[in-house]
Amino acid sequence: MDRVGCMIRARGFKRGGVPVPHRVPFKSGPIENAFLPKNAVVMLKDTRDAVEPLPVVYVGQEVRESQLIAKSAGRGSSNVHSPIPGIVRRIESTRTPGGFESRAILISLEGSFSVLGKRPERYLWKSLNKADIAHIVQEKGIVRISTGEPLAEILAERVARPGFILVISALEMDPYRRTEEELLAIRPEDIIDGCAIAARMTLPSRILLAVDEQISAATVDRLQTVIAASELEIAIQPFKRRFPQDLIRQMAEALDIADPGTLFLLEPGTLIALHEAVVANKPHIEQYVYVGGGAIKHPAILKARIGAPIGDLIEECGGFSGHPDTIVIGGPLRGRAAADLDVSVTRTTRAVLALTAEETKSAPERGCVRCGDCLAVCPEGLDPHAIFKLLRAGRRAEAVVAGLDRCSLCGSCAYVCRSRIPLVQKFDVAKRNEELL
Amino acid sequence: MKSTVTNLNSGPPYIHDWRTSARAAWICSLTLLPIVVWSSFIYGHTAVAVWGVALASSLIAEAIASGLLRRWTLGDGSAVLTGLLVAATMPPGIPLYIPAVSVAFAILIVKTAFGGLGANWMNPALGGVAFAYANWPVAMREYVLPRLVSGVDGVSASTPLLFAKGLTGGLDIRVMDALRGSAYPLSDIDSMLTGLMNDQFFSRLGARLPDGYFDLVIGLKPGTLGESALLAVLAGSVVLIGLRLIKPLIPMSMLFVFAVLVRVFGTGLPGEAFLTGDVLFALSGGGIMFAAFYMASDPVSSPLGRLNSIVYGAAIGALSFIFRRWGSYSEGVTYAVLVMNVMVPFIEKSTLMVTRARGKVRVA
Repeated sequence: MDRVGCMIRARGFKRGGVPVPHRVPFKSGPIENAFLPKNAVVMLKDTRDAVEPLPVVYVGQEVRESQLIAKSAGRGSSNVHSPIPGIVRRIESTRTPGGFESRAILISLEGSFSVLGKRPERYLWKSLNKADIAHIVQEKGIVRISTGEPLAEILAERVARPGFILVISALEMDPYRRTEEELLAIRPEDIIDGCAIAARMTLPSRILLAVDEQISAATVDRLQTVIAASELEIAIQPFKRRFPQDLIRQMAEALDIADPGTLFLLEPGTLIALHEAVVANKPHIEQYVYVGGGAIKHPAILKARIGAPIGDLIEECGGFSGHPDTIVIGGPLRGRAAADLDVSVTRTTRAVLALTAEETKSAPERGCVRCGDCLAVCPEGLDPHAIFKLLRAGRRAEAVVAGLDRCSLCGSCAYVCRSRIPLVQKFDVAKRNEELL
Repeated sequence: MKSTVTNLNSGPPYIHDWRTSARAAWICSLTLLPIVVWSSFIYGHTAVAVWGVALASSLIAEAIASGLLRRWTLGDGSAVLTGLLVAATMPPGIPLYIPAVSVAFAILIVKTAFGGLGANWMNPALGGVAFAYANWPVAMREYVLPRLVSGVDGVSASTPLLFAKGLTGGLDIRVMDALRGSAYPLSDIDSMLTGLMNDQFFSRLGARLPDGYFDLVIGLKPGTLGESALLAVLAGSVVLIGLRLIKPLIPMSMLFVFAVLVRVFGTGLPGEAFLTGDVLFALSGGGIMFAAFYMASDPVSSPLGRLNSIVYGAAIGALSFIFRRWGSYSEGVTYAVLVMNVMVPFIEKSTLMVTRARGKVRVA
């Protein structure tokens, strides 16, 4: 591993944060397709804020792979396609790991495949006009995998507000996930092509490729060749490995940009989905999922179908090697615990982690000992200790004055909290202005 | 596939830093171990008894507190730490009911009565120490010479600090020489080490280290148990700061302000004049080092934030100097920390106002 920082200075945000010194070793290699699930449970809502699309299939109906099964209900909602060929068995409401209710469509595998095993089609998208591309993106139900927002919508927003910087964010700011970095190394052509599509539609003023400061020189060389061939001007910018560098405000701070709104972040995974939708006519029915953590025998990145139960993926990675203390969907700092192994993969599931007790280092909650660590690590420069105290006293308005609304729920404060106080949970609930649990 | 997950209802983040408040307290207690061992070695069974009684009392008091609060809190390590800290401020040979009662007071009244760990507004250990000084002022200052110096147990003597304050020698000799001139006991180890240092290093530089400083550093002088191993205190401070378990700004600013004030104004000892105070002597006596790293930097009773920590530490340093220079007792550092414990909310509020005012100016 060479330091790209020798070429360009690695940037980092200015205050707080948690360094990520030790990464769990990961053996890179080709990414394998996960087995098709026998039953796919397709969640219609990826995130709490998403608007639920309307199912267009009925129970007992036979569906083809990639067939539209739920249609966008307008703003904030996206089309959903069947990840597998089969028969619709149930349409019912379920509780997601994120703690919100969503309807889910259960499809059991049957029939023949249309996408898998076939050579992908190759459209020359450069002949398409913007409206055509926008239509495809909307039609294929592509979402930004980091936030779950429909990509068609956020692209349209950017078109309306020009003068922004498109950032391809391949940053992995936790000790586990390596998906975006791996994709960058394995499929740079498709990522840069996806970027070209996004750039064609939104006309950014600059394009940055945000990479880890310790990216290998070979990957950088390869990227530079691909970039040169793409006729796009993309600057590779290394960033320091410090959580939460991948958040938009910390990114803007590191780049000395006053308004984070002028940054438009897209991950390689999203760009690949975009590329495949436009070039290969493929809906968002697959997701690259990092399966790892201390309790997983062989951590790997799998290309999984949406709706596949995480238990299947874990089994495909050799199953558990130790006793898992917590199963986490998403990152270890900002993810959500899975109640069981039947939780299914969604378009925003970027990682499934089975963490051992040694990794979680959970301890009984105690009273605050005023160590001040939470102040030191808060990337927004807030005083989490004071905000928590105000919230506990029911003084929400004062907590907002103290900066509650600036909190990005990154989890740094709760990560370092010596008394294991659930600071982020409290802030999350308070930000949503709900009754306290 | 059957789920074996046990931890379901927790929220993010799911990984944590290795530091926990309990671990911090236990590590802090462990760093006190060398002091316990060394003081037991130089004072013998009288020191062992004080440590033992304080420890036992802390365990019993915490067990009672656990019963009262209906939650088991012995595991958080704070009780044991409090017991050790209280014992560290006591002279060996003190009647054993004093550490027992003081520790119980510290844990049951100062800590538990205010809601247990984290809710106490005053450092429990210091509360217990203040309680002891107030109740048994004479016994708390009955110091004895270490067995290693006198050869026998229980030879009472006053601390170098008190003794030097009582001296009315001329202003021309340094405090250590004044002590020697008054036949203050000196250990063989010190005369050997000082002789060696003077022969090997200082003579070449044209300087001379007076006898007695080594005694201060390795505790071969009458004093409290915690004072007996300055080297161990310094080693402990390195561990605590290195592991980022205490706020380093507090002891740093405290010692800095204290040292500067001592240098400038002196502490009223022989041989000191304006700008020639004996910093080395001041820092190695009166338990100031111990108080700086183990008491002032106690997280619960100290303020949060950098500016607050600096202000707090500096104020303790200044108060310690005032108590040392003009107060009647050299142990004033205990009270300096206690006074500032009480001032913490005031400090936090004032700096908040200052930063808010500055923020407004910047916006405008």
